[in-house]
Amino acid sequence: MKIFSIDKLLSLTFGVIVFLFFAFVYPFHLNYQEQYQMFLFTADYFFQLMEKPGGFSDYMGNFFTQFFFYSWVGAIVIVSMLTLLQRAVWSVSRRMGANPLFVPLTFIPSLLYWGMLCDENYLFGGVAAMLLVAFWIRAYTLFDSIPLRISFFLISIPVLYWLAGGAFLLLPLFAISREITARKIKNLYLVLLAFACILLSVAFPILSKTYFLQYPMQQVWIGANYYRFPVNIPIAAGVIGILIVYIPFLIRFLSDKFQPKKTTFILSIQLFVLIVGGSVFISRSSDMEKEEVMAYDFNVRMRKWDRVIKLADQKSPSGPLSVTCLNLALAKQELLADRMFHYYQNGVGGLLPDFTRDYTIPTIAGEVYYHLGFVNTAQRYAFEAMEALPDYQKSVRSVKRLAETNLINGNYAVAGKYLHLLQQTFYYRGWAKQALQTMKDEKLIEQHSEWGWLRQCRTKEDFLFSEAEKDMMLGILFMQNKTNRMAYEYLMAYTLLSKDLKHFWQYFPLGESLNYKSIPVSYQETLIYIWGMSNNDPTQDIPYPVNPAIKQRFQAYQNISRQSNPESNLRAEFSDSYWYYHQFRNN
Amino acid sequence: MNRIFIILFLFATLTACNQKPVPSEIRNEKPDIFPDYTEVTIPENIAPLNFRVNDEYSAIDAVIEGRNKEVIHVQDKKFISIPAGKWTQMLTNSKGDSLRITVSIEQQGKWIQFAPFSVHVSETPADYGLVYRLIAPGYEVYSKMGIYQRNLSNFDQSPIVENTLIPGSCVNCHSFRQSDPKEMSLHIRGKLGGTVLMTDGKISLLNTKTEKTISNFVYPYWHPSGNYIAYSVNNTNQGFHATKEKRVEVVDGASDVVVYDIKNNRAISNELLMQNSMFETFPSFSPDGKTLYFCSSASRKMPEEYNQVRYNLCSISFNPEDGTFGDRIDTLFHATALNKSVTFPRPSPDGRFILFTLIDYGNFSIWHKEADLYLFDVQTGNSRPIVEVNSDDTESYHSWATNSRWFVFSSRRIDGLYTRPYLAYIGENGIARKPFLLPQENPDFYLNMMQSFNIPEFITGKVEIDPNDIEKIVLENKGKQVENLKLQ
Repeated sequence: MKIFSIDKLLSLTFGVIVFLFFAFVYPFHLNYQEQYQMFLFTADYFFQLMEKPGGFSDYMGNFFTQFFFYSWVGAIVIVSMLTLLQRAVWSVSRRMGANPLFVPLTFIPSLLYWGMLCDENYLFGGVAAMLLVAFWIRAYTLFDSIPLRISFFLISIPVLYWLAGGAFLLLPLFAISREITARKIKNLYLVLLAFACILLSVAFPILSKTYFLQYPMQQVWIGANYYRFPVNIPIAAGVIGILIVYIPFLIRFLSDKFQPKKTTFILSIQLFVLIVGGSVFISRSSDMEKEEVMAYDFNVRMRKWDRVIKLADQKSPSGPLSVTCLNLALAKQELLADRMFHYYQNGVGGLLPDFTRDYTIPTIAGEVYYHLGFVNTAQRYAFEAMEALPDYQKSVRSVKRLAETNLINGNYAVAGKYLHLLQQTFYYRGWAKQALQTMKDEKLIEQHSEWGWLRQCRTKEDFLFSEAEKDMMLGILFMQNKTNRMAYEYLMAYTLLSKDLKHFWQYFPLGESLNYKSIPVSYQETLIYIWGMSNNDPTQDIPYPVNPAIKQRFQAYQNISRQSNPESNLRAEFSDSYWYYHQFRNN
Repeated sequence: MNRIFIILFLFATLTACNQKPVPSEIRNEKPDIFPDYTEVTIPENIAPLNFRVNDEYSAIDAVIEGRNKEVIHVQDKKFISIPAGKWTQMLTNSKGDSLRITVSIEQQGKWIQFAPFSVHVSETPADYGLVYRLIAPGYEVYSKMGIYQRNLSNFDQSPIVENTLIPGSCVNCHSFRQSDPKEMSLHIRGKLGGTVLMTDGKISLLNTKTEKTISNFVYPYWHPSGNYIAYSVNNTNQGFHATKEKRVEVVDGASDVVVYDIKNNRAISNELLMQNSMFETFPSFSPDGKTLYFCSSASRKMPEEYNQVRYNLCSISFNPEDGTFGDRIDTLFHATALNKSVTFPRPSPDGRFILFTLIDYGNFSIWHKEADLYLFDVQTGNSRPIVEVNSDDTESYHSWATNSRWFVFSSRRIDGLYTRPYLAYIGENGIARKPFLLPQENPDFYLNMMQSFNIPEFITGKVEIDPNDIEKIVLENKGKQVENLKLQ
């Protein structure tokens, strides 16, 4: 292997590894990112973002993030950006006379940004800003003529500030450092240059804030949306920026210091540290618990109910939101009443989570309300989730849901407004066009497998939503449409999960209209459990057809439960039963 | 020679684009345009009424004829964008007369011409501009919002204050003394905040919660002298409907009316305005400053009886010399007798009329589809729905221009959710003309916009306020505490 080609080979290897990670290990983080923005191919959208410093980076970041809809495309985008960043750092280093031996060091900024992107709140606009500045620095190094170089970078300060936000500071930092080390400018001129740099760098943010930006000074300085919560200072991004500036200097220093005698050894050491350190860093930066919730949520969003259940079969969900998604999938597959206790249940919170003023829980909880037929509540949750986005973006997922809920409710004008917006997106254009066609014909909506059905499920009896009375609301919903099996099963699940056996017994007969072939397993278990508690002989005279096998199983359960410390034995055999949930789960 | 030919050809081609089309078909009906500017009355100081036709076309053409055979001819592929300079000139020249607008569209290579429609140019101008809040029509959570001012004679909009200035805050309830841009108040709600008061261009911050009032100051109305601001204090909650017809219910569990005495920094009120058995809200002063109008309802158990709360339009006398109230309440409009409820009473600056919103129940009319504007004649005591401006959807907040001949109101008639500002001319006899939607440079502006125009208020000039000053006083968190309520 020739040393001169090592940089390209390493870039390629790095790219492949990053791709594999985001495409196969961490794909749902990308889907998660995509849903909380709405990139529009309109001039208004562009100018809206360009109104503030760093807006161009945000625009580019949002442009690329829209492709995260397909995680493998998103992975390619990330690979391209991170590899370009590395190539830019390498290119600057080369320009400064770097020895290819030290190329592994140029991967450090990209590697660190990879780790940062494992946090779902780091946005892609930050990568775009860094890349933009890195290329700008590269452009700066192209000028050999000192007056041209200085003019270029002084003019670049305001331009780069507006395009990339606070990351613009990296350019003067690099330029001044370069001129100091190059020693081609007299000290006096250097001081003057540094002074001009500082003046310009400080003046533009302050002037922007004074005359037309209504943001806190900190945000005016930072500019681009590195982080979803603009009040946070993206220190990690700052560190990466400084590395982008100084790694070329470091390599230049090392290149001067170490003559290439033991090239293989030096290269191996660097690669070893990079690979081991990088693996540890990425592993620590990744949050696989969040990835699990995002996987559940994405499959719910895509209505891939079987995949949700498959995920749970592979590993029972432990987080409350994953449980919410699983219960919804089970209900959609008509398995909730039979199998819900086969998985971990965290009480009624896993059925219908309470509203919170954020963008994650209402998005997931809204899915449940939507599929139940609480169309207004689903609409509210979608709207609130969108409004709760701290970076003031609009959510394409929420807008799509708002189009659906308004369409179901017959509010065609406002549904049309949302569909018109979606028509200006890349991935949702086709869907919106089709929905607009459907909207023109009332019959098509009625016949639509989802919208038509949900129309029938909506309550005609008005009431005000009450978080504390979800069972009452479910009851009203079911009584309006006694074929709404999901409403019935959620009502029953609510009583089961809240251990409200009295109401379970009371509501159970309501399910007669659903014509079950046999009573669902968890209901049978509960019926016999209640019967057992209220009768001496639980196997006799129960007024419902309980399967003999379940009766026998209950008998076995009771036998073990009479033993001392029965929980571990019961868990081994009966953790999939309602009896175990009722007796041992404290939610 | 060739060069001359090319130049002539290009000139002919370019000018041909702007030639009046020869219609293949002439229709008798007027065009279906958005915004609907057909047969509206406009002030002379209004921005160009750009519009499009609600149909598919490859080109659109409009010929606008004013007084003295003045003509503006516009042709475009997307929408009619009228040149601002020519438009302004034409309106000035056509005051008191009508413009005649002939619209044609090109479909499949053929021009279709519609029957011309008129736009009447009033001799009475509207005020300089509007101030409104832009906010998504949401529920409890809010994203970016702000209070903005718009020059009516062009498309310039600029922020007065945006909530991005103080992260996590909400800005609301802007109010002016008789549309004076130098006398303004607004609230900033959040961890940090208070009531920002601008008097004679200087700003201060108030902490308005006192021991004897149930909340911070809420709905404002300036006294014409500039010495007082009437406020309601409200204990407000929200509920969310389950059926498709309704979305949000905003209810007051309790409410009173107080008057803030600016000079003495104290809240004053009267037992009649703070009755436990009543809900009092939406105060406003008469133009002579001697009467305080407000809405009053018998209190109910909330939120259970939210749909049984109905407000009447009431008044109480007020002495601006010493800040004292009369000893009786008059009911001017018995909405309860009609099983209806009054909100937002706004007296015309000439004192002749009171414009209010009438709804089936409650006080938060923006979420009531049935909400309509009504006009109460102070001289006769009669009232009537302003059918000339009402629609099948919500009409809610409204504000008078200082000459009492124009009013602006918010309506949800376009799509049933996003509130848009409409302006209407109203004669001395109380008859209004067909209203028009606030013009925008691109008629699709409203289609793409994800925010509502909230609380449109006329202003007589540009509001000169430095948002950095607002930020500074809010962040310092040293608001002036309003002295405890003095009950008369």
